[in-house]
Parts: sequence; structure tokens; C-alpha cells
Amino acid sequence: MSYLKIEDLEIAFKTPKGRYVAVQNINLDVDKGEIISIIGHSGCGKSTILNAVAGMVQPTGGSVLLNGKKVKGPGPDRGIVFQNYSLLPWLCVYQNIYQAVDAALKTEDKADKHARVEQYLKMVGLWDHREKYPKQISGGMKQRVAIARAFAIDPEVLLLDEPFGALDALTKSSLHIELLKMWNLTQRSKTIIMVTHDIEEAIFLSDRIVVMNNGPASTIREIENVHLPRPRNKKETVNMPEYKVIRERLLNLLVDKVVIDDSELYKEEQAA
Amino acid sequence: MAITTTLTGTEKETVKDPKPGMLLKRTMEVFVNLAYSVSGFGLLIALWYIITVASGGELPSPAATFTVFWDLVKDPFYDLGPNDKGIALQLLSSLTRVFTGFLLGSFVAIPVGLVMGASNIARRIFYPIVQVLKPVSPLAWFPIGLVAFQSAADATIFIIVITSLWPTLINTAFGVSSIPDDHRNVAKAFGFSRWKYLTKVLIPFSLPHIITGLRLSIGVAWLVIVAGEMLSGGMGIGFFVWDSWNALSLEKVISAILIIGLVGLLLDRGFAALEKRVTYAA
Ligand SMILES: Nc1ncnc2c1ncn2[C@@H]1O[C@H](COP(=O)(O)OP(=O)(O)OP(=O)(O)O)[C@@H](O)[C@H]1O
Ligand SMILES: [Mg+2]
Repeated sequence: MSYLKIEDLEIAFKTPKGRYVAVQNINLDVDKGEIISIIGHSGCGKSTILNAVAGMVQPTGGSVLLNGKKVKGPGPDRGIVFQNYSLLPWLCVYQNIYQAVDAALKTEDKADKHARVEQYLKMVGLWDHREKYPKQISGGMKQRVAIARAFAIDPEVLLLDEPFGALDALTKSSLHIELLKMWNLTQRSKTIIMVTHDIEEAIFLSDRIVVMNNGPASTIREIENVHLPRPRNKKETVNMPEYKVIRERLLNLLVDKVVIDDSELYKEEQAA
Repeated sequence: MAITTTLTGTEKETVKDPKPGMLLKRTMEVFVNLAYSVSGFGLLIALWYIITVASGGELPSPAATFTVFWDLVKDPFYDLGPNDKGIALQLLSSLTRVFTGFLLGSFVAIPVGLVMGASNIARRIFYPIVQVLKPVSPLAWFPIGLVAFQSAADATIFIIVITSLWPTLINTAFGVSSIPDDHRNVAKAFGFSRWKYLTKVLIPFSLPHIITGLRLSIGVAWLVIVAGEMLSGGMGIGFFVWDSWNALSLEKVISAILIIGLVGLLLDRGFAALEKRVTYAA
């Protein structure tokens, strides 16, 4: 029995126009300590799958099993970074994290909770900004607060929905390193599922990459294994032949859309 | 309360010490605004004067009225028995009734509004009642208040209670029901307790709406108290207006109108300031 098992998962939404099947036939077995990326075009259902693992949406078919137990709702064993950060605007950066820690880790001492908040705020480089409110910080900073909040509850499974999307390349790189460091510090026991649009990021971080078909009713198109040796180093990794092979294959899987857009643009130009 | 202090913290962060240049600019702005207001009132008084002349003295002139107005405010606290009291005592009595009624009404409206906003079932039960009762002039409740409390003074407070219910209730319910999914999801994902959800999500989000409701309520209550006291008699600024009319002193009536307006303005400003304090920018 694998650690995290997604079995025949189907998620449909009730919409004014009727039932909309976002994803179906999703089967995925994840081992403890694996890093998995989900990649695919916008609207294909990546967030939906992640939310199902988080317990934020209920499957309309199939199931998600964690440690052999069916996921029925959210729990402190899973920490999530939402795609739109979801910070509470009336709480300062510090309190945004503290309140989550306080709620998720009910038995821990107050002092330990505060120590945690400090540790993770320092990790994402926002300790000096702890008294600011969400409206006073940039999009990238909000994203880092959301990351710190998910990490601070010390979950077994981290669910990251485009966690590095709004960051500049430098901050992104340093947070990739922080993510892997944290993963190493816990003996690579934490399982990470991450949604991303960034092919390089997916290859650099993941053990496996799940490529989705386009919706509606989208399914898994392919699962790409990444056998690059760890610990990985960005400069060395990008020059490895396997990296280039995987990158090429992912581009081929994902890029056909771009070609169509180009030709349509060309047609319009001719017409004009 | 913890929420208020954190929210005040925001203000401190954003409002930096004004530089000397800024201060000068601010002062200028105040003067310009004042100049506009003064010219507005100047126009009004001029129009008033013209009407006075045109009506052949039916309406008291601005000058005559201001003499009476000055007499009223010069000695606002005199007390010559139940039918002859200073203007400040009348106002105080009205304000006490308004605030008593307003507080009682808010104590009912806020919790009911919270429940209505949070629960679909509660909304479907209570909303039809609100829809039917809200358009009724609160004065229509006066006889019921009389029967229930056997006293005109208490009946006046009763109609203020009724008046204060609706805007607060509706705004509170709206605030709670419009909490974005994003905020709810945070609470759900991190396992916020009911209490934490209430104090860290529901109330902070709804507070600006609640204060808006309170502000509307106190505004309407101040409108209604004048009419209520005209009905109930005895005491208060509404009674003063009615009494002045019976004494055929339009000067006093106009003075009272001015004073009622100014007090209403102050009440509104007070709540507007409170509103500003609790509003966060998302
Ligand atoms: N609550 C909902 N109600 C109705 N439809 C929904 C809901 N949530 C998602 N959907 C639909 O399901 C599909 C998948 O949405 P999802 O957010 O999972 O996409 P995504 O792959 O994460 O896209 P993106 O890369 O833009 O974030 C979309 O067509 C979306 O409109
Ligand atoms: Mg998404």
C-alpha cells in the first residue's frame, strides 16, 4: 500500500449550466518523501487535484487515501499553499502565520509556537517585515508568507499550488534551495506535491512530473520520471543530458498550443 | 478588544509624521473647505432673507432668529420646572433616549445579523420578517410601546429600538454572508476552532459592515426621535420644537432645526471616524 494513493478520482462541480467534470480517471501512487510536480495548461484541473488531497473539495468519484485512510477533510498532516496566497488582510504577517500554527498544533507550547513562526519567517526572509499587513507587501512577499505558513505547521505532506509563481528568478532559486534544504533536514520524509507552470522548476525539484491533458474531464497524460542525482545543484543539473531530454519531452507534450496560437496570429496578419 | 488594537496598528504604520510642508498644505485645505461651507450658508441666509421680505414678515428674519438662537445657547442648562428647560437639557434628554434605544436595538440586531449571515436556514426564516417590517415607519410602533410600557417616555425609547434594528441587522448579515471563500478556506485548511474563526475571520471581516449599519441606524434614530418626542411630549428636542410651535415662536423652531442638524452631523462624523478605523484595505 503506497503512502498516498489517488484512486479513480473524479471531481465534478455543479454549475448553473449543469455538471462540469473537471478531472476524471486520476490514478497516482505517491511514496513517502517523494516530490511530485503537476504540470498542465491553465484550467486543466491541477488545483482541483491538489485541493482534493488537501480535503478542501470532496471527490465525486474514487478516493484519496493517505496512510491507508480515506481523506475526508483538511487536517494538520497536510499543509497547503493556496494559489492566491489567501492571507487574512486584517492580520499582520506574523499573526497570519501564528494563528495558523496555533490552530493546527493545538498541543504545542505557546513559546514553541512563537519560535516556529520566527524560524520560518526567517527562512523566507521576512522577519523584518513581520509587523506589516498583507496590503503593505508585494505579491512575492505574500507568496513567501503563505509558504512559511504551510511549512510552519510541520505537515507530513506539503501541497503547493504554484508557490513560486509570483517570484522573481533570484528569489525563486533561493526558495527552491530552501525547500530542498528543509526536505533534507527532515531526512527527506516529507512528501511534496506541487503545481507549477515552470518546466525547469519541475525538473529541478521533482522525482516525478505528472503531465495533465486539457479539460474538461481532463486526465493524466503522462508521468515523467526524473532520475537526476540528489543533492541537485542548479548549475550542474541543467547541463546534464538527462535534464535536457526530459525538458525536450515536456516541451513537446505541452507546447502544441503555442504553435496553433502562432498560426492564427499569422492568419490574422494576412487578412489585415 | 484584540481586533481593534491590531487594526489601529495599521493606521500607525501608514500615517507617517506629517512634514512641515504637508502641515501647511493641510491647513490651507481646511481653510478652503471652510470658505466653501461659509459661502454655502451665506447663500442660504440670503435666500431666507429674500423670502422673509417677500412674505411680508410671515417668516422670522435671519437676524431675529439669530437673537433667539443666541438666547437659547447662551444659557443652555437653565431649569425652570418641567415645562421650561434649557436647550442643552432638552438635547441631553433626547440623546439619552436615542443612545438607550440604539444600544438595546444593536444588542439584538448584531447577534441576529451574525446568525442570519452565517446560516442559510436562519436567513430564510428571518429575512421575510425583516422585509415586511423594515418599510414601516417606526412611529407606527408607538401605540404598541404605550400599551407595553405604560409610559410615553419608554414608548419613545421603544420606537428607537425598532428603528435601530434594521440597518444594523441587514448590514451585519450582508457582511457575514459575503466572507470570501479564500478566507474561509484558510480557516478550514488550518483547522481553526469555532472561536478562532469567529474572532479572527468572521468578526474582523464583518466589522466594517457592522459599523456601517450602526452609523445608518443612529442616523435614522436621530431622525425618528424628533417625531417621536412630538408625539410623546414632555421632554426632549422634539418636544421643544412642538412646544415652540404652540408658543408661536418660529424663531425657536428654526433654531432647533439648526441644532438638530448640527448634532446629527456630529453623530454621523463620530461613526464615520469609527468606520475608518476598522476598515482594512484588502
Ligand atoms: N468551485 C468550482 N465550481 C465550478 N467549477 C470549478 C470550480 N473550481 C474549479 N472549477 C473548474 O474546474 C476546472 C479546473 O480548475 P482548476 O482551478 O483546478 O484549474 P488549474 O489547472 O489549477 O488552472 P490554473 O493553472 O489556471 O490555476 C476549470 O475549468 C474551472 O473552471
Ligand atoms: Mg490552479
